[in-house]
Amino acid sequence: MTATTQESAFPETDQTAAESTEHLIRRLADLLPLQGPITAFAFLNPLQGMEDQPFIEALRQVGDIFGCQPFLPEGSYREKMAQGRITVDDLNEIMAEESGFDGDHKVAGLVRHASLRMSMLQHSINPGAEHERRWMIAETDAIQRFRSEISHSVRERMIDSTHQWVSNVFPVSAASSRSDSAEELMDVVQDAIPRTLLGGSGTLDENAWESVTLALLWRLLRSRMQRTPSGSRSSKSPVRHRDLLLAVSSEDSDRLVHEVLIRFCSVFLDQGYAQWKLPHRSAGFFHAFISLFSSSGFFTNRWLRPVATELKRIHTAGMSAMDSLEESLSLLGIAPHEKESFVRGSLLALRGWAGMIWQTEERPDRVYIPSRHGTLIEFLAIRLILERYALQWLSRETLDYRGSLDHLREFIETHHSEKDTEDTVEQRAFPILQLTQLHGWTPQTIAELSDAQWQELVHAVEEFSSFERRRVFHLAFERKLMRHALDSVAIRASQPLISPKTPQLQVITCIDAREESFRRHLEEVAPGVETFANAGFFGVAMYYRGAGEAHYTALCPVVVQPKYWMVEDVVYALTDSGRQRARARRLLGTAEHSFNTGTRGSLTGAVLTALLGPLFTAPLVGRILFPRLTAKMHRTARGFVAPPPITRLRLERPEGTPAGPHDDGIGFTLSEMVNMAERALRDIGLTSGFAPLVIILGHGSDCLNNPHESAYHCGACSGSRGGANARAMAAMLNDPRVRRQLLARGLEVPEETRFLGGLHHTATEAVTYFDLELLPASHMRQLHLAVDIFGRVAERNAHERCRRFETARLDFSPAEALQHVDDRTEDLAQTRPEYGNSTNAVCFVGRRSRIRGLYLDRRSFMMSYDASQDTETSMILARILAAVIPVCEGINMLYTLSSIDTRGWGCGTKLPHNITSLLGVMDGAASDLRPGLPWQGVDIHEPVRLLFIIESTPEAMLRIMDQDLTVGRICRNEWAQLAVLDPNSSRIQRFVNGEFVDYQPSTTEIARAESSLDWYRGWRDNLPFALIQGKNGS
Amino acid sequence: MLVQFAGIMVVISPAALLAVLGLATLFRIPLSERSVARYAQASSSIGLIASLCILAYMLAMNIRHVPLELGDWVHLENETTEADKDRANAQQAATREISETEIAEDANTQHFHFSLKFVFDRLSVPFAIMSFVLCGVIGAFAFRYLHLEEGYYRFFLYYSIFQLGMIISSLAGTIETLFMGWELVGLSSALLVAFFHDRPAPVQNGLRVWSVYRVADAAFLIAALTLHHLSGSGDFEALMGKGDWPGGHATITENQALLVGSLLLFAAAGKSALVPFSGWLPRAMEGPTPSSAVFYGALSVHLGAFLLLRVSPVLELSPILCGMVVALGLITMIFAAMAARVQADVKSALSYASLIQVSIIVIEIGLGLRYIPLIHIIGHACVRTLQLVRAPSLLKDYSNLENALGDHLPDSRSVGRRWWSPTMRARFYRFAWERGYLDSVLDDFVVRPFVNIFKWSDRMERRWTTFLSGTSGTRGTADRETGET
Repeated sequence: MTATTQESAFPETDQTAAESTEHLIRRLADLLPLQGPITAFAFLNPLQGMEDQPFIEALRQVGDIFGCQPFLPEGSYREKMAQGRITVDDLNEIMAEESGFDGDHKVAGLVRHASLRMSMLQHSINPGAEHERRWMIAETDAIQRFRSEISHSVRERMIDSTHQWVSNVFPVSAASSRSDSAEELMDVVQDAIPRTLLGGSGTLDENAWESVTLALLWRLLRSRMQRTPSGSRSSKSPVRHRDLLLAVSSEDSDRLVHEVLIRFCSVFLDQGYAQWKLPHRSAGFFHAFISLFSSSGFFTNRWLRPVATELKRIHTAGMSAMDSLEESLSLLGIAPHEKESFVRGSLLALRGWAGMIWQTEERPDRVYIPSRHGTLIEFLAIRLILERYALQWLSRETLDYRGSLDHLREFIETHHSEKDTEDTVEQRAFPILQLTQLHGWTPQTIAELSDAQWQELVHAVEEFSSFERRRVFHLAFERKLMRHALDSVAIRASQPLISPKTPQLQVITCIDAREESFRRHLEEVAPGVETFANAGFFGVAMYYRGAGEAHYTALCPVVVQPKYWMVEDVVYALTDSGRQRARARRLLGTAEHSFNTGTRGSLTGAVLTALLGPLFTAPLVGRILFPRLTAKMHRTARGFVAPPPITRLRLERPEGTPAGPHDDGIGFTLSEMVNMAERALRDIGLTSGFAPLVIILGHGSDCLNNPHESAYHCGACSGSRGGANARAMAAMLNDPRVRRQLLARGLEVPEETRFLGGLHHTATEAVTYFDLELLPASHMRQLHLAVDIFGRVAERNAHERCRRFETARLDFSPAEALQHVDDRTEDLAQTRPEYGNSTNAVCFVGRRSRIRGLYLDRRSFMMSYDASQDTETSMILARILAAVIPVCEGINMLYTLSSIDTRGWGCGTKLPHNITSLLGVMDGAASDLRPGLPWQGVDIHEPVRLLFIIESTPEAMLRIMDQDLTVGRICRNEWAQLAVLDPNSSRIQRFVNGEFVDYQPSTTEIARAESSLDWYRGWRDNLPFALIQGKNGS
Repeated sequence: MLVQFAGIMVVISPAALLAVLGLATLFRIPLSERSVARYAQASSSIGLIASLCILAYMLAMNIRHVPLELGDWVHLENETTEADKDRANAQQAATREISETEIAEDANTQHFHFSLKFVFDRLSVPFAIMSFVLCGVIGAFAFRYLHLEEGYYRFFLYYSIFQLGMIISSLAGTIETLFMGWELVGLSSALLVAFFHDRPAPVQNGLRVWSVYRVADAAFLIAALTLHHLSGSGDFEALMGKGDWPGGHATITENQALLVGSLLLFAAAGKSALVPFSGWLPRAMEGPTPSSAVFYGALSVHLGAFLLLRVSPVLELSPILCGMVVALGLITMIFAAMAARVQADVKSALSYASLIQVSIIVIEIGLGLRYIPLIHIIGHACVRTLQLVRAPSLLKDYSNLENALGDHLPDSRSVGRRWWSPTMRARFYRFAWERGYLDSVLDDFVVRPFVNIFKWSDRMERRWTTFLSGTSGTRGTADRETGET
């Protein structure tokens, strides 16, 4: 598990000029998506490469670097505010924490800084894009009528004082002695007021005065704004030529480049889908591209035609990819100081494909056809060659620019920099117009502000930018949820521990947030059950090949490279039948494969589709209209050829032989088994009080027609089912030799205790058990009991999950709910077989007995840990957290960012997804590869950073943060929130700005319910946490 | 009488769906997901049952041809000349899409009868049944697949247009009726390609599909007018002679047939993505999976072949025309077979696989076969729909297959490996990778000259107006602006 230390992101340096380009590219590659082949889902923080910076600082940059949103839109935070999920107090608290912010300071002598900001948070005052503001001014009465939320008295007061001011001031205007500024002011006033009034004879009704007031304000603000230089706005122009060209010509050179590059990458990375292979693929990306494109393509796209000559030149000159890349950089006129941002921009422009190339290069063990070292550099070299010609072509076509590319940016900047100042002035004045109404500032107030005051006001408004506002909103939202979670845990922790004296059954599940409700229902159904939670690979990191499987799959967190191999064999007595069935499967498989490729061919296709085609209405109609029946038939048919049901793991390897994917290298040596077994028990604190039957449950999911299937499996098994790990661990723990050695190490497992491995299907709620035939007859009673309990839990858990599915009725009976979740997995058209770890928000590390009975709404990860059994130096906690913190934080950040910007961080909606190269999905016909989670998997997720609540001491945590760089980086840079719960009391300390401070619970009240069902019944949305007390209220 | 009622139901049920969804949109009546799905399913089920009834009736009574005239909408005394008549026709064609009225000219009485006419025969009934089955199944699929999607409602609106278009096209008894259905299908297809209109690529590709359709439709329209001119009627019955499909005999001369036939072939090529229009087919895979499945993979791509089948008596008149049909099919088949082999993504690969079969169907038609292409269309549509709907299962299917075979899938042995030198193979690969250069050739040699002419005309016009208005001073800037735009 120590292997989880990730490749650390290199610190940003300013010495990029001295840095070699190769090193620069490898450093920037950390920003690329971390998703390899989609069949093994990488639950990692999409911003892992920026974890060396504080969370907020990193988010501040993501707009520029990735073009993605850092937070939800302001509107959705205001909605949460309306629902009471964000409170004014929290907003004030968050703002007060900002260093250097004085909320009581009067901005421009007008308004408290804090209330200025609060009004900007509570009301939507920004016009959005320029055209939106233009529309609002032209088509709505934004500058004729007060905002609807302005109270009548404020409105009246403003109108009256304007009325007075105008009548008082106007006669003065006739006088000749006026200062320059007053004269200017008069011009503005005269401009805004109807002629009739100026004559002194006209009278206006109140409505007219309202529009006069606003018109006056608007003119005043605009005229003052005209003389106010925009302060902090960074007018840094983009480095990439493409961005400049796009801005002035609305032609996107990336569109041309990507059309070629996407199609080439897809055939280059293809893992065996296309029938014809890319010629010269083995020569690498650079040379394969050169040999494909240097043959003259007269008919190819016009802009691409000169590329052939260029490639020939590069080829004959014997240039390497690196040479070409350097050459392109200098041809494009990239100065040393812009190299980093230019290379970063070019790399991230097609980051899905670039990331996949990087993954196939860095983790060759995870793909069938890997890429050789240096492919990412070759990719970038080709990209820049294409980019040069696309830019050349477009700048000639649209700007008639025929010069060299290194002067293109200057040319665009000098000839096409058009700043519409009137527009920017209005854009800046508009929010202040809204504020004048909200705060009741009259035209006179504005007119009488000194220049310094005015500038202070403008600065205060503009510095509280959209990013800052959303940051405050987001933190306040997190704060409220954090407080609720800590209060609930504190209240529960102040009550006695709940654990059965002599447990009848012990169940060890994964840390997964989905298992929260599973554990809770287990405990509700059978109070005699004790539950534990451990990372779902149970410390057994291995490459695994099941019976009837062709390849090894890595069953461990995605950052770990396993060192062991494991094979499942059919038992000896069934070998013959197994062989026959394998033969049958091969025959059927070959037939199916030939049929599939046949229908895609020409003559075979004609014969097959014409003759057999109409027969295909049967599976088509069956699959879609009668999914349940069809699935049943399918299963029955498959049952005839499936591998025989009784199998064994090839668990043991002789001491002294090296592990490897060959006959002698399969399995673990005895001492390795003892180490793993000891760790698995000690980590979760299960060292005494064993029940007669201990069930270890891995988990996995089931669904159809879903490229993102692996996202629903176990995250700790890198998107595979974790059953084999549970089974292996149970087998090790049952081995008498292992038990003897454990005893020698002071860990006694009673002889009558048996371990049983199983798999919890999180979508259908079924539980399958392994090696049942090895269970002694003495334990059959316990087994029946367990099966009965799991059966009842399945219904209850399914029922609780159904409340989140809009197509499931809220008044389902538990049995109907179970049927419903089962149906979802067999439906070809179902895009939400389950919700995975959506809504996760908390991770509890500690004894289950401390939070048993707390309803956490499937929002909490859980890792069992008993501080009292740990060493002085918290060795156990350190090794637990080395895995738990990065894994859970990775899952949480992936869900959080994917739901903040589904298109940017996630992979958008599933509907147009198109599987390509057998590696990932594109949107529609051709697009960048889309890593991340689909919208259909995160639409109920609420973006918050994960809150770790760890039953330990601050000292221990600080020590671990110092020892483990990854843990330290995540906690200290606030990529997750952290609090510790005292092992002996309900005292909670939060980790704030590098130190632990006492947390004062805000309430001692918590909702209570008799059962989970009573609490959640009838609700679809997230629920508050609650205490489930059982019938007798204990 | 009963059969008349069933016939009306076949046409009315999809039209009613469009009316319900369209009016609800117009009056902003919110419909729940569930009710939309229920209406859609009711529409396809009623339509399907009615068409099955007609089929049963026709089989039982051994009738091969049931016309359904829904009466005259407009009745005009004919006092006009031939030229006026054509002009009127053109106007009618222009308003047809909107008014949804059907116009047919009755040459015998020398009156204008704008009548709705549908024909149930051996070609139209199977085609309509297939459309209902596939549309119905896809509707049921989309109901769950698009659950909670923002464009859920919009999808079903386009879907209803598409279904109506398919039914009108398949049952059309006059060439204008067919054109109307054809247009509805084209419109809904382009809108569905651009379904995710908040990303640029779907919109660009949708526009491309739309442009190709417009060009092909122009050919169709000219062909329709020419047919009127030649035979004095748009009614297929008058046109193709009295024989029931496929046994009709056209009443025009061979040369006339060649002219009309080439135009129709052009139209069919656009709709069925034959060379040189093939570029749009893979680009159409931008919409939600179910729409790509049924619309491009299965139904609308066959519409061109259907048109050729419908006017087969015209084909029979001209051996040259048949030769052209076969040649076009053959070229497309060879091209598509090559292109299909280099596609690394499942949807492009399936779209080229569809194209191969469509071109083979076209070849069959060109060779004078009638029932075989019909069966081939139906079989192919079913297979391809299932494959496209299951496209997201590709990874699981591959892993299952590899598990069954116990190894990675074998490299498919392409015949070329033995016959061609590596250089030739690289050439072929490039050709296939570039998708036959079809898009770039169209862009550079057809679109670009047009655009240049328009740009030049625009410049000239500006220069001329500046000259006329006498403000010669601003000429320079005006010129530069045009250059930039």
